[in-house]
Amino acid sequence: MNDKDDMSDDERIARQTKELFDESVRGLDAETLSRLNRSRQKALAELKPGGGELRWLRWSPAVAAAVVAAAVVWRAGDLEQLPPDAASDFEMLLAGEELELLEDLEFYRWLALTAEEPDADDHVG
Amino acid sequence: MNAIAASFAVSSAHDKNTGVGTLQRERELNRFLMDVEKRALRIAEISVRDRDEAMDIVQDAMIGLARKYAHREGSEWAPLFYRILQNGVRDWHRRRSVRQRVMSWFGGAAGDEDAADPIAIAADPDGRTPEQQLQSHEAMQALERALTVLPLRQREAFMLRTFEGLDVAGVAIAMRCTEGSVKTHYSRAVHALREMLGEHWR
Repeated sequence: MNDKDDMSDDERIARQTKELFDESVRGLDAETLSRLNRSRQKALAELKPGGGELRWLRWSPAVAAAVVAAAVVWRAGDLEQLPPDAASDFEMLLAGEELELLEDLEFYRWLALTAEEPDADDHVG
Repeated sequence: MNAIAASFAVSSAHDKNTGVGTLQRERELNRFLMDVEKRALRIAEISVRDRDEAMDIVQDAMIGLARKYAHREGSEWAPLFYRILQNGVRDWHRRRSVRQRVMSWFGGAAGDEDAADPIAIAADPDGRTPEQQLQSHEAMQALERALTVLPLRQREAFMLRTFEGLDVAGVAIAMRCTEGSVKTHYSRAVHALREMLGEHWR
């Protein structure tokens, strides 16, 4: 196969994938389009004076730091079991706005407690 | 260096907008986001295999563009928007990796229940016969699977060039790399896709 054939094959694969992709874009449902519209409006609100309802999240790293620190203290007895890359993991958590993950940590804590108490599920309901 | 890249290099000192200028800028940004949002969602969705997560990434990219770069020339918005979007995708993958490590540290069961079902997230085609829908659906699934197998940088270069239609300079800005790297990543991606999809599409 020479270079010319390679080029035509490249163009063909690009064209075919683009057509498929465009088709999937056209097939997005109304709910998804509505969510995109709401997201766009949130973004445009950033241009208005004092706009941007997410600005409060700027202080969330401090909250994240406090919660992660509490989690570490809680698990202080297991510090010797920390994986070698735990420091970078926590740095990553503190750098972002990982509120969802921090909420998950509460769940994992509950999971660990129930695992230690096999009869705990018997009291549910 | 093309017009986008040249404009990108010299326009960082643009004036802040006020009054009528702000309204005009808002309209321009609205038009840009309307034009790009659906493709951006699908590009993010292919990368993270989950529509809800992709929606969050797209929203963050929209807000990031509006907050940081609304004052830039409109011709710069596409590569800047996709730079933010790709950063979001990479952060998502890093957070997922960290999340799995933290889960194992806390003794949680790191199951596969949050793995996205490619059938559930596939697009729902419209206006065609069932046979055409099935063929298209299967072809798109094969394409998404193939794209998922590609290294991250190759996938980025391919989707930004082919799906979004950015030129090489625009992709280089979005990916924070040289134009030569873009060409290399793109070429390797196309060849890999040809190998993987050839039996379906020849």
